[in-house]
Amino acid sequence: MNGQIGVYVCECGPNIKDRIDIDKVLEEISSVENVKVAKRFPLLCSGDGKKFLAEEIKKEELTHLVVAACSPREHEKTFMAVCEESGLNPYLFQLVNIREHCAWMISDKDAATSRAIKYIRAGIKRVAFHEPLVKTELESNPDVLVIGGGIAGLETSLSLAGPERKVHLVEKTESLGGMARKLSQLLPQQGSKLSLVNEKVEQVKKHQHINVLTSCEVMDVRGFLGNFEVVLKSGSNGSEEREIPVGAVVVATGFSLFDPQQNSDYGYGKIDNVLTALEFEEQINSGKILLKNGKKPKSLALIHCVGRNERGYCSKVCCLYMLKFAHYLKDAFPDLEVNEFYVDLCLPHKTDQEYFDEAKKKGVRFIRTEGVKIKESKEGIEVEYSLDGKTDSARVDMAVLAPAMIPSEDTLNLARILNIPLDKTGFFKEVHEILDPVSTPIEGVYTVGCALGPKNIPESIIQSQAASGKIFSSLIPGKKIEPEIKVSIIREEFCTGCQTCLSICFYGAISFDPVKGISRVNEAICRGCGSCVGSCPSGAIRSKHYTYPQLYREVFEALR
Amino acid sequence: MKARTEMKKTNVLVIGAGVAGMEASLLLANAGMKVFLVEKDSLIGGKTIKFEEVYPNMECATCMIAPKQQEVLQNENIELHLLSELEKVQGSAGKFKATVKKKARYVSLTNCIGCGACYEPCPVSLDNEFEEGLSKRKAISIACPGALPNVPAIDPQNCLHLNGKKKDCKACQEACMFDAIDFKEKDETIDLEVCAILIATGFDMFDVTALAQSGYGKFPNVYTAMEFERLYAQNGPTEGKLVLRDDKPIKSIGIIHCVGREEQGYCSSVCCMYSVKFAHFFKHKTPEAKICQFYKDLCIPGKSHQRFYEDVHDKEVAFVHYESIKVDQEKGNLRIRYEDGNSKIDSYNADMVILSPAMIPGRETESLAKTLGISRDKRGFYSTQNEQLSPVTTEKEGIFVIGCAESPKDIPDSITQAEAAVGKILSSFQ
Repeated sequence: MNGQIGVYVCECGPNIKDRIDIDKVLEEISSVENVKVAKRFPLLCSGDGKKFLAEEIKKEELTHLVVAACSPREHEKTFMAVCEESGLNPYLFQLVNIREHCAWMISDKDAATSRAIKYIRAGIKRVAFHEPLVKTELESNPDVLVIGGGIAGLETSLSLAGPERKVHLVEKTESLGGMARKLSQLLPQQGSKLSLVNEKVEQVKKHQHINVLTSCEVMDVRGFLGNFEVVLKSGSNGSEEREIPVGAVVVATGFSLFDPQQNSDYGYGKIDNVLTALEFEEQINSGKILLKNGKKPKSLALIHCVGRNERGYCSKVCCLYMLKFAHYLKDAFPDLEVNEFYVDLCLPHKTDQEYFDEAKKKGVRFIRTEGVKIKESKEGIEVEYSLDGKTDSARVDMAVLAPAMIPSEDTLNLARILNIPLDKTGFFKEVHEILDPVSTPIEGVYTVGCALGPKNIPESIIQSQAASGKIFSSLIPGKKIEPEIKVSIIREEFCTGCQTCLSICFYGAISFDPVKGISRVNEAICRGCGSCVGSCPSGAIRSKHYTYPQLYREVFEALR
Repeated sequence: MKARTEMKKTNVLVIGAGVAGMEASLLLANAGMKVFLVEKDSLIGGKTIKFEEVYPNMECATCMIAPKQQEVLQNENIELHLLSELEKVQGSAGKFKATVKKKARYVSLTNCIGCGACYEPCPVSLDNEFEEGLSKRKAISIACPGALPNVPAIDPQNCLHLNGKKKDCKACQEACMFDAIDFKEKDETIDLEVCAILIATGFDMFDVTALAQSGYGKFPNVYTAMEFERLYAQNGPTEGKLVLRDDKPIKSIGIIHCVGREEQGYCSSVCCMYSVKFAHFFKHKTPEAKICQFYKDLCIPGKSHQRFYEDVHDKEVAFVHYESIKVDQEKGNLRIRYEDGNSKIDSYNADMVILSPAMIPGRETESLAKTLGISRDKRGFYSTQNEQLSPVTTEKEGIFVIGCAESPKDIPDSITQAEAAVGKILSSFQ
């Protein structure tokens, strides 16, 4: 290397000056290979300090820069900007943290000084292997594909579509509206179902920037944020295939319901007048609650948590919609005896408790139990329930089951097409459950509503608006996209085609080239996490800015 | 194209720099909007930075949001005003005029490098509110190690120079090598013109001293959940060591859920999970300790939450359903008396009792609602247009409410609401 490396040590006021012998540091490192100049300065992050560095880069004709100062968290960006302004590629720079790692950590001045020398040498050796990296920009398409025409898909489409952004809304059935259409009445605060779902369906249909595609399915999705190609299949016999370009994809494919026949304790399918919640909604819709023999029921059991144990999670909405039934029944048939059998009451929203208290006032009986067994009796249905080892039973005419919400049937297939992961419960997995709940590991692909897990209508709407917010913020019409700079690259000559990296990559950035028999990284998708680098058995993958020579030299010097 | 040029000029005011306020600010800023982020404290990050680990994956919350905090501090489209509160608002959606009162920090954000040399010489010692009073701070202080921005603030009520009790005390100024301390700094009034306002002022905790049966304040080893979070935190008052106030080890713990639920009239939705998390903490740091959770209903509504609960349950943590409960002390030992679901009275001995109190509206909610001209619901949270269908839109156009200012919720739900409000705002600009 014929580099001219400049090394600058920041005194950081007394923070470094008083605890590290900077003159000794400079003396030691000025003799290191390729170091052209080594100097000290009172405060490099100050205006004067930045001006000094910029002048030095030009005057000394530096090819590389090392700054020994504070944590990169504080000022890495500051000094990279100085490089850029002075015509030095900012990736030909290394910040060595001698404040937090040496000055503040080691009380003995000599020990701190020798540690600082070691770390600065490591930085010098590393920077010698740095390569200039250049930002790239890609054109982007602002249009969005929304998969699923239920309440979440409708809301997402309405929120996003506009003069500069077209939305393609794909629904596999013949009509829009989804599960919400099957519900008799939404919770009291929500008004009637017609005003909610139908209104949105009409708005979507009329919207000039929404392209509604019913009886249509997504067959394939290729590409990356801003540049996806989507293959759709439609037509009554699924014969029509076409390709559309979009910039982002929102998955809003909803949920299915647990089949209570999986557990014989519920008696579903065997005992008369044992209904699922959805079947009961139909009865409410018809305005008549009748037993199979055409008589009116005198007593009724609402059974919570059906399938909770089997699925391993609480579906969050069942307690509240069971309360909705109780309210409806007590209002419409005041003499009807209504019993709710629950395990835990899950009433997580601020208005829920009040709704429960009101139901209690109306005379609904709440029975806490660890589990129920539904049996046929001479006079109807017997609900056997137990708590703390005590078993009791109640006789009712009708039993309504609240089954768990489960992933919809096309979830797995769609996960494969979009290359996005599922979690242990079978729903789509968030890229980060806490910080980024509507994004998937594939940038530009979002999931909303019950496709992500059980939730109610307001929560589905909020998630739809959230995904819109993320898209508005990252996919701006007319604005180019800047992909990650520090990405992985595969050296063709070393790749054996074992494809280990394909299974490791969390972001779907690696594909296999069957002609050459090697893996390839799509730099527009790669986020530079480096997982593939570590996984490659033949060392064919390197990560820009974290190459083996860079890391080896740095670690070697630091440990010497 | 016209719409976009207008959008670029558009300013948004975000009140509160907790996890919801930060998320909304970043998304808006990245979309090209100018954000004025107003925070009443001297630091950003809200309550989230108090938590060592968060459920269900036990990630370090401080580490998790530090990159977001850095981004907020460095983003050119975000103008951060700390120690600031909204004083007045006029106008309507698209053209609000807001007046912000910004208190003097007396420490320069540009000159200070966060070395901490000024704390030591300060002669004043006070309870550290951030640490729930479990440790002391000086009149010039940062909340905890790692607080961002890493710049202290001077508390003018208690600083001897500023409150006039000892005018010649300039100990911190003399210790500062960077000329960062300026006693002459004055409070400021800032006028802003914004098109939308986001309220992200978070929550406070139910005052457990109001409940005599909780034993809090009477018996030293009864803790609130927030106190316990700080006790467990590596950067907290005991550096993460789980000990009682008298430094004795903890052998038996009772964790009481739903404290204040009845009084507030709602379930706070997160307490069950964090109470279970506490048991996980104990099993990690004091594996032999006996733990009992006293709950009313287990509210564990996330798809991955039940698994977390079952994992902890399997580690020999007892779960007892209670109808009523009372904490007493007998011969120096805490005794929890409770009535179970079958009206049976029983009791449990504990060295430490942790209370999980309800989340309540932030203390400033009433006055801020008045300033903004919006109403509050009967629980005291900001009212939304339609509690079920439009939970981030207030009754006043252009004013949105997100996170725990709207209702109790966890971090991901707060972030989702922040993103949703941004979606609403940007959607209206198309």
